[in-house]
Amino acid sequence: MIVVATAIAACQWWPSSPPSWTGDEVAVLKSLWLASLPELSPDPSNAVADEPAAAEFGRKLFFDMRLSANGGISCATCHQAERGFTDGLQKAQAIGTTKRHTPSIVGTAYSPWQFWDGRRDSQWSQALAPLEDPNEHGTNRAQVVALVAGDNDYRASYESLFGKLPDLNDADTFALNTAFANVGKAIAAFERTIMPTTSRFDEYVAAVVDRDADRQSELFSDDEALGLRLFIGAANCTQCHNGPLFTNFEFHNTAVISFPGDVPDKARVSGVIEVLADEFNCFSPYSDDPLRHCSELEFARTGAGLIGAFKTPSLRNLAAPFMHQGQLTTLADVLEHYNNAPDAMIGHNEAKPLGLSKRELRQIEAFLTTLEAPVAESPAATQIESKQAD
Amino acid sequence: MIVPRIARHCLYFCILAAFLPQHAIAHGGVVDEGDLCVIKVNYLRAHFKIYQPGVSGHKQYCEDLPVAAESVFVMEYQHDSLSEMAIDFRIIRDVTGKGRFARIEDVAQIGDLQSATVYYQPAVIEPDVYTINYAFKEEGDFIGIVSAAHPETGKVYEAVFPFEVGFTGLGYWPFFIGLLVVIQLQYLLMSGRLKRWFGRRSPSAMGLVLGLLLFPLASYADDLVVTYTTPDGDPQINRMHSWILHIETDAGVEVEGAKVEVDGGMPKHNHGLPTKPRVTEELGGGDYKLDGVRFHMSGYWEIVVRVTTDSGTSIVTIPLQL
Repeated sequence: MIVVATAIAACQWWPSSPPSWTGDEVAVLKSLWLASLPELSPDPSNAVADEPAAAEFGRKLFFDMRLSANGGISCATCHQAERGFTDGLQKAQAIGTTKRHTPSIVGTAYSPWQFWDGRRDSQWSQALAPLEDPNEHGTNRAQVVALVAGDNDYRASYESLFGKLPDLNDADTFALNTAFANVGKAIAAFERTIMPTTSRFDEYVAAVVDRDADRQSELFSDDEALGLRLFIGAANCTQCHNGPLFTNFEFHNTAVISFPGDVPDKARVSGVIEVLADEFNCFSPYSDDPLRHCSELEFARTGAGLIGAFKTPSLRNLAAPFMHQGQLTTLADVLEHYNNAPDAMIGHNEAKPLGLSKRELRQIEAFLTTLEAPVAESPAATQIESKQAD
Repeated sequence: MIVPRIARHCLYFCILAAFLPQHAIAHGGVVDEGDLCVIKVNYLRAHFKIYQPGVSGHKQYCEDLPVAAESVFVMEYQHDSLSEMAIDFRIIRDVTGKGRFARIEDVAQIGDLQSATVYYQPAVIEPDVYTINYAFKEEGDFIGIVSAAHPETGKVYEAVFPFEVGFTGLGYWPFFIGLLVVIQLQYLLMSGRLKRWFGRRSPSAMGLVLGLLLFPLASYADDLVVTYTTPDGDPQINRMHSWILHIETDAGVEVEGAKVEVDGGMPKHNHGLPTKPRVTEELGGGDYKLDGVRFHMSGYWEIVVRVTTDSGTSIVTIPLQL
């Protein structure tokens, strides 16, 4: 009896050996590998999406604080390169406080939907919304186009990419909106270049594929490897955090508690209505796709099943706080939330309680830190930022 | 001996009934229906719950709240027309003196509703779910008043629900319930009914119950066979693709000119498809092109195909393991 009890205690106390991966598990690991990320498909709604000159123009706009009502806010105020293109705050702070946490930009060129609730369907239409939001940049389309027209460098960049700027004194709504949309398209061309890079996890998968056990144990501690096994197995994480970007870019209600002072956020159920009506959506006259191939909008799901459903964020380059309003401070809080899977305040929680032990949760947390990696973003960006600040 | 015992039970019950608060009658607006709390605004119903997220996280309350704190009231409509109605929400201090027996008529008699009001959300149309957030500053008796205006007739429906903030506990409820259970168990044990009740459940009776439960499923298994092919290759997670559905009868006759609707989801996860796929073209020979299919996670999916022809509607479920 004593021997058995000691053996059981020992099994629970000492770390079990790192996993040797089954064929099925290797397949899942490869599906999460950055090397499996397919080449980015063209964006037919944005004719300059892959133009380096547009990306360069967009980069300048992204860091330009003149694109705001008070001259003190740029896209980079909240999307900070050194913080994985988010800001470390619960809710974004610009001219005012926004409704939600700043989402990262990394890899979002792959997403059919932008914002936490997917209320825009392209990077370029997304880029336009904060410019006119009174709590963010607080400016408007006429002011944005006037800024481009009044800056010789910007005007030259704009006109070489999109043709002549409209005369602001004599521009009709369509001409003004087209010029405004083009500014968004340049910003999107820059944002399209912001991608994750190889993390320790990706090197580990390479070692698994090569069956190099020594390299595997060099790269991952036992806890990290066991955490990875739980991540792709018992913890059900890959149901939503799947693919090389660790997200399916879809909308799920996971019963995150409401923010103090706020009512619960309805999220996608409202976001989908907004994107279908957005004046700059894929169906709009401002899309460059003559064929208007808009299958995402055409087959978009609507209705009460989407109450409280937010877009799955990528897990590459995790930065606290977490969730759509930064409600959870640490990764341990997040894992505990999923382990408990409480009933949702509105709608239904899709997750089920996991029943994992504290130690297992710590192992998953250890694994998640292996996804940290620098973001592919040119150092020139920070130089421009300081220039604009001067 | 049995007759006097039953008489004694009736007596116990009558005493208990006299003591217990008469929720369903007094609360007109909010009713605790076992595991579901429901607000009835006239004939319109909504799932009703209150949270105090800062104090008790995800714990939900039906009416009374334990402390004066930030409280989130949620109404999830069970009746679609509430999505189109302008709804307003008022919380007043209970100035009727009726406590939890206050009714709509009592509220109607309040002269100055405004000065009794602690929170008011003016009428607004909120699709799907209605929420308000009010931080109670003091404990006491309150009354919630919800009004919904019919968009066409203009008729206003109201629900009134008295509740207590700083609710001190369950009162005598657990004591009475415990007493009731003990009395009932004692009666069943003494009378031998418990044993007889178990003894009576024969396997054939269980089979009948099971058969009745499964019966509705049998109606799906009718005379149509739906198969599919995927011209874009095997379905891959997170990729929009098309299917070709082939529909024929059991006898192998291709079904043409049918109205084909498709939905589906993951039954284990209680969610539908991420997209709303649609049959965009009938290709002939019983083939239908289904566009806009996407799966966003691996696991067990069900695609439900609803085929309507002149001879009626059939529903065929296609299982799919990804």
